[in-house]
Amino acid sequence: MSDVVIRTNKLNKEFVRDAERVVALKDASIEIHRGEFVALMGPSGSGKSTLLHLIAAMDKATSGEIDVLGENLSALSDSAIARWRNAHIGFVFQSFNLIPVLTAHENVELPLKLTGLGKSERQTHANTALKLVGLEDRMGHFPRQLSGGQEQRVAIARAIVTDPDLLLCDEPTGNLDAKSAQEVLTLLAKLNKEFNKTIVMVTHDPHAAQFASKVRHLDKGELLPE
Amino acid sequence: MAIPIAYNIRNLVVRRTTTLMTALGIALTVAVLAAALAVGAGLAKAFTASGHPNHLLLLRKGSTAELISSVPIPVFKERIKLRAGIAKDEKGEPMASPETVLVINLPSVDAPDGMNLNIRGLPPAGLKLREDCMITQGRWFQQGRRELVVGSAVAKRYPDAQAGKQITFGRGKWDIVGVFDSPQMARNSEIWGDFDQISGDFNRLEAASSVLVRAQDEVALDALRNELNADPQLQVEIMTEKAYYAQQTDSGAPLEFLGIFVAVIMAVGSCFAAMNTMYAAVARRNTEIGTLRILGFSKSSILLSFFVESVLLAALGGLIGIILVLPLNGVATGIGSNLTFAEIGFELRITPGIAAFGMGFALFMGAIGGLLPASSAARKEILTALRDS
Amino acid sequence: MKYLSLLVKNALRNKRRSILTITSLALSLCLLGVLVAMYHALYINQAPPGQALRIITRHKVSIIFGLPIYYRDKIAQVPGVKAVVATQWFQGLYKNERQDRSLFFPRMAADVDHLFEVFTTYKIAEDQKDAFRKDRLGCVVSDSLAKRLGFKLGDKITIQGDIFPFTVDLVVRGIFETEQNEEVLYFNNKVIEEWLKARGSNRPFAGTYTILVDSPDNVARISNAIDEMFANSEVATRTESEQAFALSFLAFIGNIKLILLSICAAVTFTIILVAANTMAMSIRERTWEIGVMKTLGFTKESILGLVLGESAMISLIGGVIGLSISGALCIGIRKIAGPFIFQFQDLGMQPPVLAFLLLISVAIGVFAAMIPAWNASRMPILNALRFTD
Ligand SMILES: Nc1ncnc2c1ncn2[C@@H]1O[C@H](COP(=O)(O)OP(=O)(O)OP(=O)(O)O)[C@@H](O)[C@H]1O
Ligand SMILES: [Mg+2]
Repeated sequence: MSDVVIRTNKLNKEFVRDAERVVALKDASIEIHRGEFVALMGPSGSGKSTLLHLIAAMDKATSGEIDVLGENLSALSDSAIARWRNAHIGFVFQSFNLIPVLTAHENVELPLKLTGLGKSERQTHANTALKLVGLEDRMGHFPRQLSGGQEQRVAIARAIVTDPDLLLCDEPTGNLDAKSAQEVLTLLAKLNKEFNKTIVMVTHDPHAAQFASKVRHLDKGELLPE
Repeated sequence: MAIPIAYNIRNLVVRRTTTLMTALGIALTVAVLAAALAVGAGLAKAFTASGHPNHLLLLRKGSTAELISSVPIPVFKERIKLRAGIAKDEKGEPMASPETVLVINLPSVDAPDGMNLNIRGLPPAGLKLREDCMITQGRWFQQGRRELVVGSAVAKRYPDAQAGKQITFGRGKWDIVGVFDSPQMARNSEIWGDFDQISGDFNRLEAASSVLVRAQDEVALDALRNELNADPQLQVEIMTEKAYYAQQTDSGAPLEFLGIFVAVIMAVGSCFAAMNTMYAAVARRNTEIGTLRILGFSKSSILLSFFVESVLLAALGGLIGIILVLPLNGVATGIGSNLTFAEIGFELRITPGIAAFGMGFALFMGAIGGLLPASSAARKEILTALRDS
Repeated sequence: MKYLSLLVKNALRNKRRSILTITSLALSLCLLGVLVAMYHALYINQAPPGQALRIITRHKVSIIFGLPIYYRDKIAQVPGVKAVVATQWFQGLYKNERQDRSLFFPRMAADVDHLFEVFTTYKIAEDQKDAFRKDRLGCVVSDSLAKRLGFKLGDKITIQGDIFPFTVDLVVRGIFETEQNEEVLYFNNKVIEEWLKARGSNRPFAGTYTILVDSPDNVARISNAIDEMFANSEVATRTESEQAFALSFLAFIGNIKLILLSICAAVTFTIILVAANTMAMSIRERTWEIGVMKTLGFTKESILGLVLGESAMISLIGGVIGLSISGALCIGIRKIAGPFIFQFQDLGMQPPVLAFLLLISVAIGVFAAMIPAWNASRMPILNALRFTD
């Protein structure tokens, strides 16, 4: 596999709402290499999330090419995409999105159920992931028993438990206080450095962007030159 | 201050799938109940309206039904026919009719394997006593002939019992020559022929099943009854024709019981479903509840509002249920009589009373289902309500 | 099975809702269970081996009319017929039966010499059988009946006749075991014969003939042979299996088959509504979670499977609870209705009925969740993530 993890070429995304067209992304071409930690910045509505969603194949581009981890996403079927996402992508949301009826440990284990792993292996992997985010003592807790920062760390554990090549984070610190945000950012930086995870992180926070190895700006759907 | 009902209606419309599903559950429950009651109402209509007020029916002592009764003809001639107080026809003949009642089996629309039907053998006086019966097709049977006329309810449900057809029983074939109809519906479930012909076929000429007499008036009726009762040689059971028919209204009791039993169990289920729906409605409107409280609505107006919403939901269900069951009104059907060993025809009836009762039942379900969710809504603290959303 | 814990956790997510739903489903499925058990007992259940060998010949037109006595010997000569017994429904009243319906039980008069030849499934001690044969006013009762009404050997049982208006004073001479907890009393039909003779009546006294055949496979052939033999005789006959014979009485209460089926349909539909409503609410509330799961790599199909599985599980739990209650209810109905409707004497949740209903529970669950599950599984990830109720 080449060194390029994400390559987009003249990527466009339009939304049609009430007969009105909104251009969320305009001719966006970007290349992200293995091991990079890229921060995406830009004003609200500039298309940051949209780009992230396209990279995660959660949405389809209106036009343009997108190639992630050597896969031409537009050519894959729905279930192939689901499998691909499970194996290669970790996604972290601003609002954590943990399943409330499952414990921290079960939340982390959830994506592993889609793999062929046996029960004990799944347990071990989930334990490892939770240990990595520093929550080995909170495994049996339900999301509502955790603080926001802890919830987000569980969500990161869930994102990395399948050992994906690519970690996509949409404002992971957006709902957190300064101290929790710091913890989460340190964690991401560690994942990037020590485990060589490629990370794309959307953020509004210039301080957060400092943790990244590279910062790209979007404005009104257009990627500003580096 | 009450929260306007329009607010509830709008909420029901917003959640229309849930609203409709819950209402349909209630509707089916109401429909089952109403259908069961329609049997009772139909039978009541058929039987309480049947029988002439001045008619007395005489059966053998101890008998409850014509079929297991017998009154010897000599006894009739000597001790019944000539009593004073019995009305006379235009020729001066007493209006007293010894009749024979038998059961035959014919395939009906519901029971192709055959269903029991009453055949009644009538002397000329018998038809005079039933002057309310009109021939709607063909003609009356003639004395001395193997001819029959069938009641309108029979003609409706028995493909073989049609004017112009022949049926076989006793010693051979019988011609059906007409169809009659009486406003006294119980009569329409019978087949009639000549007393001598029918009794002859079954070697029963010496005894009738029952005797029907008409008293001159109500006063004479009581006198006649006392006189007959007092005759030690008679040994008869005497009742008014009306009372005899009224007994049969209970024939639908097992069916009614089954229907009501099923409806009650379904009602509990529907109540729970309504409760579920209302709890969900409360949970979904947490913010609204908090906001309404901040706006100054009291706890009791919140309670009332959700309660009303549940009752409205149930009312919709009740309405659909009644509409569902309405086509049953007037449907001709038959049921085995508890008395005559034969099928009696009647029409299912959805009376306004049944509709009202069904609606009441629905509202009751809605009220029970809405009470707990409504009170849980009212008990919410303003801040929890706002935060939980 | 690795998804089972997830299914359970989702199903129990909203405990109050799950409990309400499961209770509601349990009640309805309990009802459905009883109704299907009844239907099965009446229309599907195979006759037990002993009963399957018995057929009954009666008057073609109506059970009310009797059959000539010489028919017995003619029937006995039909190839495949092993034994024939003349039986007569006596009815009558026991004690204050008119007020207390529970005192009802079938009373039959029979040819004592042949009774046990035909009813080979009745087990009776030889000395009791002899005592019954020797005592003209002796009678035998089935053990279930003896147990219910406390009859013991030597007890007097007085039946006041109605179809045959005379009183018989019987003495219990034997108690026999039956194949299915049948309730019945037999006494000597000579008693009726003598009474008829004393009245100078020439009425044929065999109401029906019960016939033992050599193999269940020959039932149809022998029935036809008998009916053909008498087709052009004095009295035409109708011969059918004992089971079919019993069903023809039930047809009398109304079109039971149709009624049972329509109630079952209404109940099933209600269950589907309740389940569908719950699942729709539950899925709506967590649409965003489905978005999350899709982000984690769950496919459309696996989401569909999880949601349908959850609904099936809830419905199955309701089914298991409801059907256990049906089992108990069936025992109650067996006690109450058994004496009147002999098919109900063994009413219960037979394995095929149980299996069928459990399957139905699961199917209802799957069916109920179909639409919301389908919609949820197909909703684009981003819409699902952003979805708020
Ligand atoms: N489903 C949608 N339908 C219509 N328009 C949409 C949709 N999703 C996004 N948009 C529009 O696309 C544009 C880009 O949205 P996007 O969510 O990518 O912005 P963003 O940069 O992530 O903003 P923020 O920082 O506020 O999260 C916005 O104008 C938004 O209104
Ligand atoms: Mg965004």
